[in-house]
Amino acid sequence: MKRVVFFVSLLVAVSLVLAGCGTAKAGNHLDAIKEAGVIKVGTSADYPPFESVDASGNKVGFDIELMTEIAKRLDVKLEWVDMPFDSLVAAVQEGKIDASISSFNYSEERDQTVDFSDAYYTSEDAFAVAETFTGSIVNPEDVAAFKVGVQTGTTQDGWLTDTLVAGGKLAEENLFRYDRVDQAMLDLKNGRIDVMMADYIPAQALVTQLGGLKIVYHGVLSTGPINIVIPEADAELKQAINEIIKQLQDEGFIDGLALKYFAQ
Amino acid sequence: MLSNFVSYILQGTAITVAVTLVALPAGLVVGLLLALVHTYGGRVANRLASAYSLLLRGVPPIVLLFILYFILSGDFINLSPFWAGSLSLGVVSSAYQMEILRGALLSIGGGQMTAARAVGMSRLQAIRYILLPQALRLAIPPWSNEASIVLKDSSLVYALGVPEILRRAQQLSATTQQPFLAYGTAALIYFVLVFAVNRGLDYLSERTKLPTHS
Repeated sequence: MKRVVFFVSLLVAVSLVLAGCGTAKAGNHLDAIKEAGVIKVGTSADYPPFESVDASGNKVGFDIELMTEIAKRLDVKLEWVDMPFDSLVAAVQEGKIDASISSFNYSEERDQTVDFSDAYYTSEDAFAVAETFTGSIVNPEDVAAFKVGVQTGTTQDGWLTDTLVAGGKLAEENLFRYDRVDQAMLDLKNGRIDVMMADYIPAQALVTQLGGLKIVYHGVLSTGPINIVIPEADAELKQAINEIIKQLQDEGFIDGLALKYFAQ
Repeated sequence: MLSNFVSYILQGTAITVAVTLVALPAGLVVGLLLALVHTYGGRVANRLASAYSLLLRGVPPIVLLFILYFILSGDFINLSPFWAGSLSLGVVSSAYQMEILRGALLSIGGGQMTAARAVGMSRLQAIRYILLPQALRLAIPPWSNEASIVLKDSSLVYALGVPEILRRAQQLSATTQQPFLAYGTAALIYFVLVFAVNRGLDYLSERTKLPTHS
């Protein structure tokens, strides 16, 4: 037994050392991207209307079209890397991808390991319930009386955990964390959970698509500005992307996209 | 629209098969070497092989996958998610394949080694010409079990961003809101693949059976 413990700790130690070894790369990341002619951008294409796949498997959505335009203006080719949402920040941090666009809100936790571009859009939180729901949700804190569903690793997850669970209002066993927002919505429809907390726009899309659901509250609780995630202290890439976002806002390109995908 | 979706998931099949075709042989090479070392090597080699097997079989594959991924895809070695994921699966599988082959080698019995040595063969010759040919045949049925496990475990690489069958099914479930269709298609593809592998290996086992092992 002792030997096993020793070997396990050895393995853990070795992997930690190897994983920790110099994430700082020499040279300028932006120049490296331009030299390669390709920017690798991570996304989790299961979040319509921000990012999803269409019938032919092409990536579509607000974020997808926006990033395509940004890459075009950076004068590099865009290579999509699709992975589960909760792997994205780690992938940027480890340098597996150059940046990530996946409807990311700023959060202090994320800011400790990666950087954020300027905001390209502002999002709200929403609570969705079944149409047959009889409870009352006037204030956001009222959801603490129900079984609440949320997507793991999202800012909503953070808000529920920090504000309600840590505050002793919501019992941990009444918070149900899902890999993806559509799974949670299906469970909401099937009555396994009472309330679902999610980004307003995707929640609206799902409520319309699934039927039998409604949104009872929306407002800014955990969300707010949506940003592109870039590696920590990557000043050049950050500046380049920020300049393009500014241009696109000034030209009305982003408003046009919002109209196209969110009908607002 | 529907046929497009199904074909999108089907494209993931090639990736699932490719991951398995990297992981299984990689695991076989490492597993076979370790099994030989464990059975015929000295005490130190024996202990090391035991520790390796104990360690790798004692941790869930997905945990090892993440650890190995960060080693194989770090600054020193920088493999793509596909290669890092496939090789990691191979490492996980090597421990199980080692145990399968070790069992097969042991089932032949020590007397044959002694006999081979008595007629003047070296230990390596005895392993190469007498023991391995029998052991490999005996190992096919349990190995086909491992092959189907690796095939199914290949779905784990989706966590590293490799767009195989499961990841594609998830995306389609999110787009269409038809989880039953998406996952049902994925389940069917996995089943057909595993069925084909098992049947193929059964056939191989039948064809290569020795008259003495009826």
